[in-house]
Amino acid sequence: MRRRNRLSQAPWRSIASIIFLLLAWETAARAHLAPPLFLPPFSVVSVQLWQSIADGTLAIDLALSLARAFCGLALGVTAGILLGLLMARVRVVEWLLDPLVALGFPSPKIAFIPIFVLWFGIESLSKILLVAFACIFPVIIGTYSAARSVSRLFLWSAMSLGSNRKSMFLHVILPACYPRIFTTFRIAVPVGLITTFTAEMVAGGGGMGATLIYSQRFFESPTVFAYIVVMLCVGLLLDFAMLRFQSHYLRWAEG
Amino acid sequence: MRPRIEIRRVSKTYASDHGPVVALRDTDLEVKQGEFVSIVGPSGCGKSTLLYIVGGFLAAEGDVFVDGVRVTGPGTDRGVVFQEYALFPWLTVHDNIGYGLERQNVSPTEREKIIGGLIDVIGLAGFEKRYPRELSGGMKQRVAIARTLACDPAILLLDEPFGALDAQTREIMQDELLRIWLETRKTVLLVTHDVTEAVYLSNRICVMSARPGQIIEQFTVELDRTRPREELVLSAAFNEIRNQVWLSVRRQAIAAGRQNANAS
Amino acid sequence: MHLKMGGTSTIRWIGRVAPLLLFGALWQFVCSAHVVDTEFLPTPAMVVAAMGDLLSGGEIAGNIFITLFRAGAGLILGSLCGVWIGLMMARSDKFKAYVTPIVGGTYSLPKSALIPLFALWFGIGNLTAIAAVFLACLLPMIVNTYHGVVTTPKVLIWSAEALGTTDRELLSRIFLRNALPDILTGLRIALGFSFVLAISAEMIASTNGVGKLIFMYGENGTYAYMFAAIACVVIVAFLADRLVLLVTGRLLTWHESAGAAYERRVS
Repeated sequence: MRRRNRLSQAPWRSIASIIFLLLAWETAARAHLAPPLFLPPFSVVSVQLWQSIADGTLAIDLALSLARAFCGLALGVTAGILLGLLMARVRVVEWLLDPLVALGFPSPKIAFIPIFVLWFGIESLSKILLVAFACIFPVIIGTYSAARSVSRLFLWSAMSLGSNRKSMFLHVILPACYPRIFTTFRIAVPVGLITTFTAEMVAGGGGMGATLIYSQRFFESPTVFAYIVVMLCVGLLLDFAMLRFQSHYLRWAEG
Repeated sequence: MRPRIEIRRVSKTYASDHGPVVALRDTDLEVKQGEFVSIVGPSGCGKSTLLYIVGGFLAAEGDVFVDGVRVTGPGTDRGVVFQEYALFPWLTVHDNIGYGLERQNVSPTEREKIIGGLIDVIGLAGFEKRYPRELSGGMKQRVAIARTLACDPAILLLDEPFGALDAQTREIMQDELLRIWLETRKTVLLVTHDVTEAVYLSNRICVMSARPGQIIEQFTVELDRTRPREELVLSAAFNEIRNQVWLSVRRQAIAAGRQNANAS
Repeated sequence: MHLKMGGTSTIRWIGRVAPLLLFGALWQFVCSAHVVDTEFLPTPAMVVAAMGDLLSGGEIAGNIFITLFRAGAGLILGSLCGVWIGLMMARSDKFKAYVTPIVGGTYSLPKSALIPLFALWFGIGNLTAIAAVFLACLLPMIVNTYHGVVTTPKVLIWSAEALGTTDRELLSRIFLRNALPDILTGLRIALGFSFVLAISAEMIASTNGVGKLIFMYGENGTYAYMFAAIACVVIVAFLADRLVLLVTGRLLTWHESAGAAYERRVS
């Protein structure tokens, strides 16, 4: 009885949805409901995708974009955590950085692309620094907020168990912040990817975004679709990886 | 012999949205070595505040001495158990209990011995690797008590430790606490709003007035605690004391109610 | 950030803004000391002058208005659809099952990647930007509305039903009211996205808008104007965010008391 119930609960609706969409795509394209330029059939896109993988162009572009995104993320997240913790602990630092963070957080960092290109060129350095710049603000805010809201019961318990200030920070405040910091990290990753791709689209210099925009300008729509599909899969995989990490290393977190 | 804890003319005022609030005014209390003292009183009377001041977490006017030394901050001589949410969620049961031992650089072998012993005392063998998230309320408080006992403090400060538990678990935990106290004879200061609990556990009960808190009445409790709970709680002696304490607290609660009505 | 400072609110305000003046002074110092060429880093004075020029010339105002129009249109459409979809997902498990993979998929896709595709379909103009903003705003609104509706306390629902609330009334009076804080949080996020995507779309595939303006100034080498335009964007984005916060604060105050009043009637 139980087995049958589990089978019937299998996500057949969700799978059906996806299959329906793909079939609709293929039929609409083949029936020329839209010009093949606008909507190449799924089969043609798949072929193009396979070709890009085979001749190595996709690998190079993807590697370049991901490398830039990760370097920028590493830089931005680390700096963000450090600054967030510093702001939470040292009043002067908080006072100094507060207006900068308040202005920086809501502003579209994309608007700064031309500045970064001006200063650092169109190759990878400008992209990496731009990604760091884009990611740092949510990480600072999340870390700061977490460090400030550590329960006083934790702090008091630790003090009466013999913790000094240094061990309080390392062994209580920091671990208490991990779940919140990870959540901001999960937000930062897609921001990093978007910023990388957009910067490449605007300024060129190789990578997924640059190829994507060139394909659009030369009306190579199968490549456009293929690259979008790849970006989608990369995003999915990364999110899946982060969820796995969270469910293992942060399984102690409540709520 | 010098009392273990001396509280002399302690006053505490704190700021709030509605102006300064006097939580305690000229409170006096003495706790002797090995005593089990409960502080009861209406909600908001300042009994937890007093406990936190003894613990060294809050500053106050007046003098608090522990073993003749003025209290200036928290210390391992005064262990604290809070009502809830004080266990470190990122540490397992084993590591939570061992936290204080690690901070004091106790050797690993010694640490394991103490932790192992305490796990048996609180009856959580087999749960060492669990996280607080996976424990029930009662189990969490057991771990909290064990964590405090690991550092072998001379004084135990308990802030409504069983307040978040259901009635049955509360009774079981009270028996556990009583058992531990009878064995170790530590000096205990317990804050509770449950009068029955206070009578069951302590040998002295202090009733605190409505805010600003002061110790209004004290009751000595002389009961034979080796008797089982069923006998003790149903006995006439127990209930006589309980009724007296309850009446005293009730009067304070009514006064506090009038205070609130006047304030708003 | 909550810095507690004494003094009147004007003094406090000045205290909070002061670091920006320090930052400006540092900027000026870096230029004067020729640490960096003014070619690459115009002095604050040059940027302020350029900003004055832009504002009086009306060039930037017009372009910012275009950008705001695109961002706003996509934001409003995306929010309305997002709230509706989120509500439906929370109320119907079937709908949720069908729609989740699509919603989940778009989460992982950087929406700006769709800009070249939309440029292919819709050409270079308003529709491309609005479509990109629309898609970007959908997701946070769906997720937040869903979360807000799904966490409506059962006792609230049951109380209302016992008092004879119709299904339609339930929807608006109970679920949406309860989800309001979450929806407003989602709106703030969506607002940020709307700016990012509108400007991205303009930089990649447009002939006007402030994104294009910044890009052009960069290409032409008139960097003081470029910095000035960017500064204007930062200020506009900041003010828009503050506006949403203000509205949120007002709405939720009423919501709290309205919700409390309703609960009193119910219980």
